[in-house]
Amino acid sequence: MVFLSVINWARCRGPDEFWRKRRVFRLAAHYIGRRRNCYSIAVRNVHRALVYATKARKLKKEDMKSLWDVRITAACEQHNITLFSLREGLDRANIMLDRKSLSDLASWEPKTFEALAAVAKYKLETDRFIDGQDKCHPTGINLNLKDVMLEAWLNEKKK
Amino acid sequence: MSANNLFLKSAFVRAPLKNGVGRYVCQLQRIVFKFCKSNGASRGMRDFIEQDLVDFSKDNPGVVVYLKPRRHRGPVIVGEYLNGDRLWMSVHNKTHEEIVKWVELFRTQQGNNWNSRLRKYQYTNHPSVQGPWTPFTFKDPELNTAELPDVRFGSNNRLPATATEQLRLMFEKQKLDELKTAE
Amino acid sequence: MSAAKRVQQWATFARSWHIFDCKWQDPYESAHVIKKYLMGMHKPIYHPMNDCGDVVVCINSREIALRGDEWRKRAYFHHTGYPGGASWTLAWELHNKDPTMIIKKAVYRAMTGNLQRRHTMQRLFIYPGENVPEDVLQNVTNQIRQIRYVPKRLDHIPEEEVKNYPKVMEYPEDFVVK
Repeated sequence: MVFLSVINWARCRGPDEFWRKRRVFRLAAHYIGRRRNCYSIAVRNVHRALVYATKARKLKKEDMKSLWDVRITAACEQHNITLFSLREGLDRANIMLDRKSLSDLASWEPKTFEALAAVAKYKLETDRFIDGQDKCHPTGINLNLKDVMLEAWLNEKKK
Repeated sequence: MSANNLFLKSAFVRAPLKNGVGRYVCQLQRIVFKFCKSNGASRGMRDFIEQDLVDFSKDNPGVVVYLKPRRHRGPVIVGEYLNGDRLWMSVHNKTHEEIVKWVELFRTQQGNNWNSRLRKYQYTNHPSVQGPWTPFTFKDPELNTAELPDVRFGSNNRLPATATEQLRLMFEKQKLDELKTAE
Repeated sequence: MSAAKRVQQWATFARSWHIFDCKWQDPYESAHVIKKYLMGMHKPIYHPMNDCGDVVVCINSREIALRGDEWRKRAYFHHTGYPGGASWTLAWELHNKDPTMIIKKAVYRAMTGNLQRRHTMQRLFIYPGENVPEDVLQNVTNQIRQIRYVPKRLDHIPEEEVKNYPKVMEYPEDFVVK
């Protein structure tokens, strides 16, 4: 619309009040009490809800990421590998699986995840990669590392 | 943000009675085309009836087709499905091509799923091939017979070798060397 | 849901019991390990809203080890709610009063403060010594590995083993220990 004079521009009101308020009431329809019935209260709550929704779009992704990390860490622990070295090993082996797929595999296809952990471990071993982030926290599996080391060494020498 | 999904019930993608596995039963049972013979809004609908309707009913003998001309009313498609759902849709001012697509949608869908929000766009009856994880999946079988608490299962197994253990290693090495020189 | 799937569900969400030996362990460090098992964070099916936490039985809580001079320096705060009701108890005092309290508070603090925390704590059993009631012990199917190495005391090793252990050198016969 083109306004050739100021008068016409001033006479042009915004959208109809009823429809403007209705837009807000539609968004407040699931509230309880005056929050859904009184416009001035509804609009405040709707604005706040929209702000929350905007922030939550990012938070949801972060929450899912941390949840997947917890799950993968738990699964890694059963195969004596850390989350860091699993991802590093898989990246080096050119297996590009994201957190979601890894955590899905860990719970739905546990044997596949075991194989992935073995691949990552073997790749890091051949690359002579040392995991500096490994805090040497104990894992769920029975390793008896020191006995294994001693036995392996003795077997090697006795041959 | 749209308020459309506030009161929608949530649902998963499902096919009734595994429809399509082995045999397919068209879920659309009856379709009614309501239109006006003179009004411009029904023009696309009239084109559809003239050009495609006969082929449509020939291709789908299981679907009952009704035509309902009525004066000066908007064009409407109503589908009725095997599960009792009735789907009403206005096709006011829709072109011929659009109506062809909508009719195809009416024919292929399994009922009125417009009143539900899909939680996921995929569904499977068999989510796992190997069987899902359980606490017993990677459990050490020795734990079944072990008397807990036991130092063997309770001590940290990932610590580097202590000085004592290195000493023991040196000792074993020395003993081996002595054996070799004796030979 | 078919019968096989129902059993699968029970198996996946089965609640198992773990035992943890607190001997020579830092309670604040091991609290994070215990917390993981209590909340079910050691399972790949973990979700904060599904009930997948396990039961943990802690034994030997009397023999925990605190770092540095924390026994003397760390204070536990309590307030009765009345004016002048604040009290500070040192770690060694608290440990003398109740040997299970330090580990309990450490685990409680390791978890985030939400409504679930008190219910999760109900699944933690702490015993000051080796003695665990039989009905608790018979459920235990797994042991949580300790974080720290537990050194052995020389007088607890059998004498024969000490004699046969390889030595770097022998003390001379006329060596006098001051």
